[in-house]
Amino acid sequence: MPPKQKELRFKPKRTGKMKIKALIFTFFISGLMSGQVSFDSKVSKRQLGINERLRVDFTMNKDGDDFEPPGFENFNVVGGPSQSINNSWVNGVRSFSKTYSYFLAPKKRGQFTIGQATIKIDGEVYKTLPVKISVSAAIDKPKDPNDPNYIASEKIHLVAEVSNTNPYLNEAITVVYKLYVAQGVGVRNSREIDKPRYSDFWSQNIDVEGLGAQQGTYKGEDYLYVVLRKTVLYPQKTGKLNIEPLSLDVTVEVPSNRRDVFGRSFMSTVNRRVSAGNRTINVKPLPEKDKPESFSGAVGSFDFKLTTNKKELRASEAFEVKLEVSGKGNLKLFRLPRLVLPSALEVYEPEHSEKVTTLISGMRGRITDSYTVVPNDPGNYPIPSVSFSYFDLKTKRYKTITSEQLVINVDEGPMNTSNNSSGAIVENVITPNLNQFSSFKTTTNLKPIHSKPFFKSNLFWLLLLTPFLLIPFTVFMVRNRMTRALDVTGNKIRKTNRLARKYLSAAKKSLGQKEQFYDALERALHNYLKSKFRLETSEFNKEKIEEILQNKKVNRSTLEGFISLLKACELARYTPLSTVDMQNDLDKASKVINALDKQLN
Amino acid sequence: MKQFLILWLICLVGFSQTNSSFEQANELYNSGYYKEAIEQYSSILDSNLHSAELYYNLANCHYKLNEIAPSIFYYEKALQLAPNDTDVLNNLSFAQKMTIDAIQEIPENGFSKLFNKTINSLSLDDWAISCVGLVFLFVLLFLSYYLSSSEAKKRLFFVSSSLVLILLVSSLGLLFKKDNIEASLRPAIVFAKETEVKAEPNLRAETSFTLHEGTKVQIIEDYNLDWSKIKLRNGETGWVTKAVLRNL
Repeated sequence: MPPKQKELRFKPKRTGKMKIKALIFTFFISGLMSGQVSFDSKVSKRQLGINERLRVDFTMNKDGDDFEPPGFENFNVVGGPSQSINNSWVNGVRSFSKTYSYFLAPKKRGQFTIGQATIKIDGEVYKTLPVKISVSAAIDKPKDPNDPNYIASEKIHLVAEVSNTNPYLNEAITVVYKLYVAQGVGVRNSREIDKPRYSDFWSQNIDVEGLGAQQGTYKGEDYLYVVLRKTVLYPQKTGKLNIEPLSLDVTVEVPSNRRDVFGRSFMSTVNRRVSAGNRTINVKPLPEKDKPESFSGAVGSFDFKLTTNKKELRASEAFEVKLEVSGKGNLKLFRLPRLVLPSALEVYEPEHSEKVTTLISGMRGRITDSYTVVPNDPGNYPIPSVSFSYFDLKTKRYKTITSEQLVINVDEGPMNTSNNSSGAIVENVITPNLNQFSSFKTTTNLKPIHSKPFFKSNLFWLLLLTPFLLIPFTVFMVRNRMTRALDVTGNKIRKTNRLARKYLSAAKKSLGQKEQFYDALERALHNYLKSKFRLETSEFNKEKIEEILQNKKVNRSTLEGFISLLKACELARYTPLSTVDMQNDLDKASKVINALDKQLN
Repeated sequence: MKQFLILWLICLVGFSQTNSSFEQANELYNSGYYKEAIEQYSSILDSNLHSAELYYNLANCHYKLNEIAPSIFYYEKALQLAPNDTDVLNNLSFAQKMTIDAIQEIPENGFSKLFNKTINSLSLDDWAISCVGLVFLFVLLFLSYYLSSSEAKKRLFFVSSSLVLILLVSSLGLLFKKDNIEASLRPAIVFAKETEVKAEPNLRAETSFTLHEGTKVQIIEDYNLDWSKIKLRNGETGWVTKAVLRNL
């Protein structure tokens, strides 16, 4: 509309008037809408046995002429057409409805279509939609559509809705029981006859607050429903598990055929027993693949923590170790991993606490085990890491959470004060402390690692056995000495030989030098006699010696030999002599001394 | 002879070097660099030298780092070289507090307790040395008895020498007994955090009990390359894989 646009552009002041016009137009349209003509066909049921009857209503909200019913080729018209008109004024608004009703009996089995009915309203022709009807084999008892029990059975349904019919073991599923009530039927009272027992499940009922009716559909038709019960179930067994049905005794008000003066049908009250059918749940086992060792049946999504309230304390004080699992899943249905502590710690039984709320989606919250631990001795105590495994439903895999290893440092505990009973305050007495970790060693003496052990080495055997050889050796030596001591003559010979050697050794040294040699020889002879007879040097002369030797009854030849030797010593100072002579004299001296010695003893 | 001398010289040089690295390691330990100290101490071990003090300091480092199994392992090593060191015994008891297994010893009767105490008071070589010493003493006393002339001295020396002889024979007996025991004992320390002890040497076998790191066990016998039969101090036996153990 370019001209109008132009107008708008050039006469902007008239826009207000335009708005009012638009408003009036909308009112008119809505008035038309409310006055819209409806012409519907409605059947009492879409499925029926061949021995049952069917009621078809054609309803319009405005009176018209020339109503033409459809053909009903496959049906016998048993009753009708009957007309009913409903005209009411409520709050000044008129509502009108006119119904043509037919009661039909099917002629044969099969799928049939009830065709279109036509009517002319305000000069326009309106048509209903065709309706499909299926006719089955005869049923035992033809259901009277007006029987209140039959209506109640058709219009009230108890349904158990299961969130997941193929869960894993320990995966939460919910069962919601809903009572569906068709419009036009009232429920006055309901009573549970049989409460279901969930024998192979861990179950928890969730309270339903108030029984508010809600809109819903049941098998494609509009219904009102009430949630009666919500239950969370954790299957505890694998395989096919049965959920027992819930049975209710319901008092139902059903409209009857009779009507009061205002055309409202009387309600008849019927007691009806409804039950939700058995439901079978197929529980899958958790996969065996990659199942961790620490898995203890937790399914869901969790967080795991290990905490202590102290990291440093004194001996004999208590501290707490807390294992906590928080999150969503079967929290009440598994055990927390066990804490393993060093044996030197005194550990008490854990205190178990649960803060779990059960919602329709399952349990959530936290469970904790808190251990009270008392160290009696100072030292470092490791708290080993603890692993917690669970099956994660989102990823369908096992997950393991491992806590960190903690170390508790325990210092020296309070000293035993009972000893100090005198009450005297003793300040800073340094006592030897045996309860303390010793420090490192500053010096060392390193040895080769693979040094041969002394034990069984050759040196060991040598040192162990040779001392014993000393014993026979010594014994032999001593024996030898004793036998020699017993051998007298041999001993003497050896002794004089030794003496002669002793006295003549000086002379022997100066062999060749005449003067010194004979001096030494003479002294040797004198010395020999001196030691033999204990004589003084001054007493020495040849005559005296001769006398003494004769007194001692020395052999004549030996005596002469001795004297001649002495003479030779004197003479030698004045005569030249060769070395050979000196040697002869030396030999002679030793012979004489030997002979003298023999005879003197 | 010449080769031996050269070897000795090399050893001497090595000693001085490793002694200084021992001191360096001590410094690292004292400043709290335990990991570095462990490396330094281990380098001394790699050069084939050891001592009780070295093992002790190394064990202390591992203790400070809360490594249970290695610290107990090295304390036990130190005890092998110095069985009566009070520092080692004290710190070993600290390390043992960190272990998880509590194994009760079979109580011994008085005699065997005394016997074990005596036999373990000295190391094997110490026993050997003391035996040699006793031999010398005995021979000396016996010869004095044999050679002395006076009756009183003879009697004194005879009595004392026969006492020494009794002592010698009994310590020789202990020495060989200890050697025998040590040859049959093969102590080991469990190094794995947690290990299952099986009733038979295969993985399918039933688990008899569970051991944790730091526990001392005796190896009784071996099977294949992988399995060892172990005995605990309380007399229980079972099979474990060799990988979880470390021989002392």
